Amino acid sequence: MSTAPNPPEGSRDARDEPGRQQQPPRGSIFAVPAPIKRLFDKFPLRTYPANELPLRAPRHRDENVLYVFTTDEGVRNGAPSFNPSCLKWQTYLKFSGIQFRTEASSNHASPSGALPFLLPAVTTGDTTKAVPRVPSAKLQRWCMSNSPSSIEEPGDLRYEAYLSLLDHRIRRAWLYTVYLSPHNFPSLAEPLYILPTSSSAFVRLTTAHTLRRAAEAELLKFSAVINVERLYKDADEAFDALEMLLGQNTWFFGAERPGLFDASVFAYSHLLLDEGLGKGWVDTRLRDMVIRRTGLVMHRERILREYFQASPSSYELSGEQDA
Amino acid sequence: MASPGDDEIFEKLSQKTDPAELKKQEDELNARLYAQQQKAQERVAELIVENTTLPVTISSVHILHANRTRKSFLQRVVNPLLSANNEEPYTLEEALREVGVAADKLNRFGIFKSPISVFIDRPDPTNPSSSPTDIDVYLSAVERGTYTIKTGTEAGHSEADAYVNAEFRNLFGGAETLNAHASLGTRTRSAYSLSASTPILSNPDFKFQLNGFASSTLKSWASHEEVLRGGNSILSYLTKNGHKHEFSYSGIWRQVTGLTQNASPTVIADAGDSFKSSLTHTWTNDRRDYALLPSKGYVMKTVSELAGVGPLRGDVSFFKTQAESQIALPFGDTGITFTAGLRGGILYPLASGGSRIPQQSRINDRFQLGGPNDVRGFRISGLGPHDGSDAVGGDVFAAGGASLLFPIPRVRKETPLRLQAFVNGGRLVSLQKQDKEGQMDSAAVKDSMKKAIRSLTDGLPSCAAGLGLVYAHPIARFEINFSLPLVARHDEATRKGLSFGVGIEFM
Repeated sequence: MSTAPNPPEGSRDARDEPGRQQQPPRGSIFAVPAPIKRLFDKFPLRTYPANELPLRAPRHRDENVLYVFTTDEGVRNGAPSFNPSCLKWQTYLKFSGIQFRTEASSNHASPSGALPFLLPAVTTGDTTKAVPRVPSAKLQRWCMSNSPSSIEEPGDLRYEAYLSLLDHRIRRAWLYTVYLSPHNFPSLAEPLYILPTSSSAFVRLTTAHTLRRAAEAELLKFSAVINVERLYKDADEAFDALEMLLGQNTWFFGAERPGLFDASVFAYSHLLLDEGLGKGWVDTRLRDMVIRRTGLVMHRERILREYFQASPSSYELSGEQDA
Repeated sequence: MASPGDDEIFEKLSQKTDPAELKKQEDELNARLYAQQQKAQERVAELIVENTTLPVTISSVHILHANRTRKSFLQRVVNPLLSANNEEPYTLEEALREVGVAADKLNRFGIFKSPISVFIDRPDPTNPSSSPTDIDVYLSAVERGTYTIKTGTEAGHSEADAYVNAEFRNLFGGAETLNAHASLGTRTRSAYSLSASTPILSNPDFKFQLNGFASSTLKSWASHEEVLRGGNSILSYLTKNGHKHEFSYSGIWRQVTGLTQNASPTVIADAGDSFKSSLTHTWTNDRRDYALLPSKGYVMKTVSELAGVGPLRGDVSFFKTQAESQIALPFGDTGITFTAGLRGGILYPLASGGSRIPQQSRINDRFQLGGPNDVRGFRISGLGPHDGSDAVGGDVFAAGGASLLFPIPRVRKETPLRLQAFVNGGRLVSLQKQDKEGQMDSAAVKDSMKKAIRSLTDGLPSCAAGLGLVYAHPIARFEINFSLPLVARHDEATRKGLSFGVGIEFM
């Protein structure tokens, strides 16, 4: 894409470094004749080194950065993100042995409109060249080609079916319990997603409203009315199925090492089992379903111990001003 | 049976009138009429001149046709005229001048059709309450329609848009105006605003305005879209000698959103919401003869904004001030003009409530520099720090330019068309950390601001020179220039060759 907002022109761009000059060769009448081009290339007569970037500009460009929902504190000690889809990919990157750090961000920053996304490290040394962001939909493929030990996903026929349990039944119950449950909204969604956006009450109220409407719209895609009992019952059945699937295995589908499915389960089981999430769980119905399944609890403990050494609960918000 | 006498008559009748004779008669008539008129006018003038010192008292002022305007509102305008409210008696000359001032005031409310005509009459001498010096003043102020709805297309500041504008005048009979505006465009993708304004104390130079707006602007030079929602209230005052002051409070919710695929880490870091709560003062003193293509005079303007401090709250806190000036000097009556402009500004980070650490600037608040309307020969926001291809803006800037404008040979110099030769340049820099560790406290910020200001003069400023054609259309100024950059920083985006500029303000 071109950065030029200007009208069509019969002129050239001075950014003559390769890679930045993205103008395609011009058609015949707009082509600059060679002698004039040579003259133009003499300008500017004097070029000084580049300007320094402003203070808020991130400095370390040689690291992979995963932009997720997290707090500044979470960034410092590499704590798990408080958003299931962010945590899934954060965990998967760790499973793949990819070195990265997290950065707190918002959906506005993402090319797909939703976190997470990854900004790969600049390896060429040319920091002026834009590195395209990797949205979550392309993260698995990116990991496979960039990981020192890429993960083979099990070719089990039931894989898709079980994955849909997570993506539909459990996700829907999660959406309800975090965003729509009147008890959890002030203790979970508010401190995690709304207070950090802005210190202005007007912005917070509008954001809260938008968030709840979005969650509601998502649930109404599947049924004409939101039936709470049904949502919880479906989730309970899904956890049952997952517990049975895991059985006595260390990882799902009896794999040697954890994969994307383990990351997907962990993304929900960890957050549900984390008693320090936000201001703590008030409506514990969904949380209790996981606590009852010892297999899933141990699975979560295993991942937390091996891949997130930091204390399991590091979600205290470090003051609203930091947001 | 014809008599000789009859023949004579026929002869006379059949005789053609001499056109020359006729013209002579007409001319004589015209000359007589003209002389008469002239005499009458002279008499009036003489009468006024002879009577300039004639003491008069204005016993009453009648405003005709202003049916929808509140009486109390008009009284404030005309009361100062009445002799009953003045200690000193008027001479006729003074009275006429004062009446002119009042008529001009009425005119400036924008609710009456202009011109407002003035009649003066003597009151009925049989009325026992009248004195011999009394005069009555009649102002004929015909009200304009209650509303105007305009639709159209506009091109300016390198963008084009289509708009609908509705204005409701004199809502409550006190020159209150309600204005609604909606536009869709290429760069400002959408903009909606609603504003209500009213003069204070029936003074057209003292106004209060309330605005609410929502807009979405594509900032392609920094790979994002900025969505604004907010409102402000403005108190504006125009002094008698042409200084305009505006005080405003604004609360704006800004969203940096819709980042493109190649957005740089700096823009990514600033993506999201922020709420700005700020107080602004703007001072303008425009003494140019024609703002779009001045041939003489100067303009000075300063804008100072304080955001987020103390009770203001909000997510950003800073003090931002910028100044701009332009001077135009004519070379006699040749139509040749020299214009020079100078601009500068600083964005000083401040600590917001509770915290002692000043907040570093965001892309929404930082200055941008470059483009056909300020530093020509560079792309829009082409100067200053760039992260990849994104112009991320700076905290301190200074820019200047000088142009020599010539009339085009064989085109009258009154035509607003000029050839121009210009040189312009500037620097836009950001604050830097002095040492690697931790966050900067107020003292470190002060130090770094000093260094940033000093660094403006490190090396030559980024600059360009060129030649072009300027046309001042009544709604905007158009420029087409050929320019080449002379000095630039490695990351800055220059523009070689032809470029086109449209706008209202040029440096």
